[in-house]
Amino acid sequence: MSLATSLGAGGNLLEQGPAQAKRLEVPTPILSNADLETIRHVTQRQFPAVTISTTFHSDGGVRALEEGLERICRLASEKIREGYTVLVLSDRHVDANHAPIPALLATAAVHHHLVREHTRSGVGMVIETGEAREVMHIALLVGFGAETVNPYLALETVAELLRRGLLPAGTDLARAKERYIHALYKGVRKVISKMGISTIDSYSGAQIFEAVGLAPELINRYFPGTSSRLGGIGLDVVAEETLMRHRMAFPERSVDPVSLAGGGDYQWRRDGEAHAWNPTTISLLQHAVRGGGPQSYEAFAAEVNDESRTLKTLRGLFDIKGDREPVPLDEVEPATEIVHRFCTGAMSFGAISKEMHETLAIAMNRLGAKSNTGEGGEDPERYVVDANGDNRRSAIKQVASGRFGVTANYLVNADELQIKIAQGAKPGEGGQLPGNKVDEVIARLRYSTPGVGLISPPPHHDIYSIEDLAQLIHDLKMANPEARISVKLVSEVGVGTVAAGVAKARAEHIVIAGYDGGTGASPLSSVKHAGVPWELGLSETQQVLVAQGLRSRVVLQVDGQLKTGRDVLVGAMLGADEFGFSTAPLIASGCVMMRVCHLNTCPVGIATHDPELRKRFAGTPEHVIAFMLFLAEDVRERMAGLGFRRFEELIGRSDLLQPRTDIEHWKARLLDLSALLHRTDAAPEETHHTLSQEHHLEDVLDQRLIELATPALERGDPVRLKLRVRNVDRTVGGMLSGAVARRYGEHGLPDDTIRIDLHGSAGGSFGAWLAPGITLSLRGEANDYVGKGLSGGRLIVSSPPNVSRAAEDNVVIGNVALYGATSGELFVNGVAGERFGVRNSGAVAIVEGVGDHACEYMTGGRVVILGRCGRNLAAGMSGGVAYVVDMDGRLHEHFNLAMVGLEELDGEDAQFLHDVITRHREYTGSLLASRMLQDWKASLGGFVKVMPNELRRVLSLKARLDVPA
Amino acid sequence: MSRTGFMEHPREPRHKRPVVARVGDYREVYISHPLTTLRTQAARCMDCAVPFCHQGCPLGNLIPEWNELVHDGEWEQAITRLHLTNNFPEFTGTLCPAPCEPACVLAINSDAVTIKDIELSIIDRAFEEGWVRAQPPGSRTGKRVAVVGSGPAGLAAAQQLNRAGHRVTVYEKADRAGGLLRYGIPDFKMEKHRLERRLALLEAEGIVFECNYEIGRTISAEELRRSFDAVMLCVGAERGRDVHTPGRSLPGVHLAMDYLVQQNRRVTGEAVPAAGAISAAGRRVVIIGGGDTAADCLGNAHREGCASVEVLSVYPEPPQTRPAGNPWPEWPLVLQTYPAHEEGGRRQYGVMVTGFQGSERVETIETVECEVHRAGSRRDFTPRPGSEGLMPADLVLLAIGFDGVASASLVESLGARLTDSGAIAVDADFCAAPGVFASGDATRGASLIVWAIAEGRQAAAACDRYLAALPKS
Repeated sequence: MSLATSLGAGGNLLEQGPAQAKRLEVPTPILSNADLETIRHVTQRQFPAVTISTTFHSDGGVRALEEGLERICRLASEKIREGYTVLVLSDRHVDANHAPIPALLATAAVHHHLVREHTRSGVGMVIETGEAREVMHIALLVGFGAETVNPYLALETVAELLRRGLLPAGTDLARAKERYIHALYKGVRKVISKMGISTIDSYSGAQIFEAVGLAPELINRYFPGTSSRLGGIGLDVVAEETLMRHRMAFPERSVDPVSLAGGGDYQWRRDGEAHAWNPTTISLLQHAVRGGGPQSYEAFAAEVNDESRTLKTLRGLFDIKGDREPVPLDEVEPATEIVHRFCTGAMSFGAISKEMHETLAIAMNRLGAKSNTGEGGEDPERYVVDANGDNRRSAIKQVASGRFGVTANYLVNADELQIKIAQGAKPGEGGQLPGNKVDEVIARLRYSTPGVGLISPPPHHDIYSIEDLAQLIHDLKMANPEARISVKLVSEVGVGTVAAGVAKARAEHIVIAGYDGGTGASPLSSVKHAGVPWELGLSETQQVLVAQGLRSRVVLQVDGQLKTGRDVLVGAMLGADEFGFSTAPLIASGCVMMRVCHLNTCPVGIATHDPELRKRFAGTPEHVIAFMLFLAEDVRERMAGLGFRRFEELIGRSDLLQPRTDIEHWKARLLDLSALLHRTDAAPEETHHTLSQEHHLEDVLDQRLIELATPALERGDPVRLKLRVRNVDRTVGGMLSGAVARRYGEHGLPDDTIRIDLHGSAGGSFGAWLAPGITLSLRGEANDYVGKGLSGGRLIVSSPPNVSRAAEDNVVIGNVALYGATSGELFVNGVAGERFGVRNSGAVAIVEGVGDHACEYMTGGRVVILGRCGRNLAAGMSGGVAYVVDMDGRLHEHFNLAMVGLEELDGEDAQFLHDVITRHREYTGSLLASRMLQDWKASLGGFVKVMPNELRRVLSLKARLDVPA
Repeated sequence: MSRTGFMEHPREPRHKRPVVARVGDYREVYISHPLTTLRTQAARCMDCAVPFCHQGCPLGNLIPEWNELVHDGEWEQAITRLHLTNNFPEFTGTLCPAPCEPACVLAINSDAVTIKDIELSIIDRAFEEGWVRAQPPGSRTGKRVAVVGSGPAGLAAAQQLNRAGHRVTVYEKADRAGGLLRYGIPDFKMEKHRLERRLALLEAEGIVFECNYEIGRTISAEELRRSFDAVMLCVGAERGRDVHTPGRSLPGVHLAMDYLVQQNRRVTGEAVPAAGAISAAGRRVVIIGGGDTAADCLGNAHREGCASVEVLSVYPEPPQTRPAGNPWPEWPLVLQTYPAHEEGGRRQYGVMVTGFQGSERVETIETVECEVHRAGSRRDFTPRPGSEGLMPADLVLLAIGFDGVASASLVESLGARLTDSGAIAVDADFCAAPGVFASGDATRGASLIVWAIAEGRQAAAACDRYLAALPKS
């Protein structure tokens, strides 16, 4: 990734010459004051720079702001004509009579003005502003056209903090400012990486934002091309808000001693930003489930619903208007049925403590509802029902990008398998478990190393297209045909189109997650600025799915800070069949929103693994059950009032929602909710879930394998099979592995109990989830995703006999082998494609050559590469070991050494290599293996051992600790 | 920043002087912690994202913020942050029952941060270092405000209004300013020099104090209204609740506040006329009532050298731990033990007084055990037949609460009115009549000092908005 950018005239993109190269390179989009002065004065001769003041007369109101914008655009054009190649837009000259034009508005206005004039590439834009102080501010300014930003006031604030002694003793000013700029730099890098962009030049002017609450006129004039679906404020309100701040800075008289308000953005403050979870709502809910009863719940719901009326949420802007006569409450479907539509959110054991995780599972199982593993595996001991009848098994098993703990046994112990594409709290990012929370148990369940932090990669490495998603859905369905397959998406513009693709890929369940869910461990830039409210995403998804005739095939679920029966009802009317709750059940269990989930110091034992703190956990399944039943009763009472007996009659009835007419708030009343409430005409059965997806599992090869393997499955007798495989046979061995896991659990069958010799060309996901005791030996070739989620079985792929090329030159398996493998073995007599061993966390593999990115994000297991390697080897590898033959002495050029180091082999390594290569020769007849074994000493000398730095750190720490004992 | 102090250090509140030593004088009971201990105690704060302490504090004190500053040794920053929400931290730091502490998140399953100790240490340190200085307004608005009453609400309102640039005159009917802070609170809870120091600062900021001024007597309500652009009534809830049991008029049966006022005068060295003097010295004292005022009487009685003290409460004994239905973060309805209770005396619960006996003065009181029944917000007491008894008593102090504003005529003469409970009726902006505002105990009934300061501030802000809207004079 690179955040380096350049200033000056860009010239014609299609020409190549010295003029194009005459650019001032700037290593970061954040400029210090000295950097800016350098641009202003030192490089002036080569890169003439001019400053345009972006202020307007504070007593001129919106007219002055509008004229100010016109003036800076006009000046920009003039200066370019005069030959300037750097424009500095500056709000430095603010005083009692001059307010700043909001920096983003000024930037976008000038940028688009120059784009329209076809002069934008002739100039670099530098924004000198007192407004920018957070990562998001920089990202917005760059995203709307700036090349670089000088946040002078923030830098002055750093100096002031130092002057007041609020920075650690010994900090010097230059260093403090440098650190602040570096923090912004890293934040911006994270933001652009989340969007899948790797250079700042691609991000600059890309405008990948969605505006919520800006009027179309404002968007069209100053931010053209930006999505904005709800209308909202115009330039007049922007002017007024700017002037309100200006009046605060230059008051007519001062009442309080001059001191800035706390704000309360990230931490609740009484006079600060309103938070939905505040002392009142938290304590009311906790009282309600601890004996306070329905009255306390009603007080809680009233407070929340009233809050939603006080304009914290979009749903607070609606009124629910019935079109039927009320019905008696006892004619409405019972709460015990309504709760089946409820689940708890995906919070991993890892993020939350064992006690909290199991409390949720027990509560939801007692209700016949569902809890969710989150991305962290699950201890198999929880698959056994407790003596008292409690079931600690999570009904929903999540399959996320890290694939932590995803084994055949995990998959069969599920009623729903959820593919997490993204999560509402931090779209574009995966789970992040800091090393201090990875203890022995968590590491065991995630097949990783204690003490080593775990970061789920942003993408699923087996999903690059909707066809790939369809393949993963098929893989999961094969492992567990009884489980419904869910795909979790995030509310954002365009999610409806994605959902339509997901429905066509035969997902049975789609989650639309809102932006306001989330853990205290989410990065602040995500907490505040990523995603949009669920109302927008759900409404769009419902509209698209109904219009495409796909809605009835899927269950639609919504989540994101749902708290009350009213929330559920609004969700249903906007299209949801089911509802997810995360924060509320945690609050019911004792969470007090400390927002220290990442520090392992949760004082109520919820988001911690500290044994002492876990003792403080005081939540019970009854607390969670009470909340769910209160909710369901709340829903029922509202249904009765509206005249609805069955819940499904409500789904998609957005016509029952009406924008409130009593909104007096000066900004909220400008919103236009019609797009949100639009209802696509369709028959009632077309607007909610009524049909099941067709998976065509009856004729898959695995049905035959299971039939033929009956002696092994029923009695453990060895079975030998010989079959032909074709490229339409996908996920071979997946369903058989599910059958083994279902009967024999995590440890499966004894080695080689079921041995299947195949020949031919295998389809995608060959040997996925392969369970212990199964050996699949293929002579021929296999497509992508060989050994996906390998769970203890053995996979052998040998080059076909009649190939003219040597095996070590012949590609026999596709890309992304062993993704998320947890144990088992893979022998490949030939070359693999790209990303071999990505996210391997326990399998042993040997291969005679690999493409790019081998061993990426590996956390465990061992990979032996006997032949040629592509680039970027071992990127992001934090565990496991790789042994690679250095063919030409230039292997180091292939490594990504950011996280690994190269080591000498020791005796244990040599023994392991000899053993595995011997077996490779035996299983596959590899000629390369034979040759190497013939001159073993020389062969051994050719190996390089790749060791992750993190693993080495933890091992040496452990060794030191073990010495005295 | 990782906050683990709460896992490493136990709660350590300030120490108290030994009972034998402290009952021999009227000096404050508590001893300040060394700064290192305070910093350690401040390190126990978890800097909660939802700070329930901050909600529990009527002033909305920014508790986590100054805890952190104390932990970091940034005491001057800490007092600035503390003064933002609290005009008089030395009053609350000594006198507040600290509803913030039971609301502390640590109190869910452990011991709260010693918030009140830290508050007091911040202001004490600030005075020592000379960081607390008069802050006269930069310019004057030309508007004039009369504040009636110089208790905590009046002083807070006066300081806020003065800092907003209005000319403020505080009228006090007693001979010296301070209200309950001077005549109600015993020195062993807060020594008077703390009050004097603050009054001097207020005067230095430009506030004028007019003592021995009684509205309606020294100066008429009309004149007050004419001379000022606004009036702020902070007259307290001084009407002591009385009983009408037989023998009430016997000498030796007094309202607690009458005793406390005299005691405060004596301790300060003022003369108290022999006629009507109330003293506990050598006497068998019975205090009726179980609240703060009763505890103040208790402490004074021991310091005067009483023979014995019985404290009788009509309510049943509160539980030691939170009862069901009174969960965190609510104020815990449990048995409160103040330093005065440690100094002697016996507390009895569920006892009602039915009569006072004696020839020249009270000698005996008649009691009966009783049960309390809640009927909505009302409580009824049923005597238990056969449980009647007699108790010797040379001095009986009635500390059973207050019934609102003492002078209805003052309130009415300013165009305001009293509610049924005797409080001044105000709207949401503390406005009692056009240009007349009221706050503190006068509007909410006898309550905590922290509420008085909070209301004084809020009412001052409302009054300031009113003044800003007036035509420029």
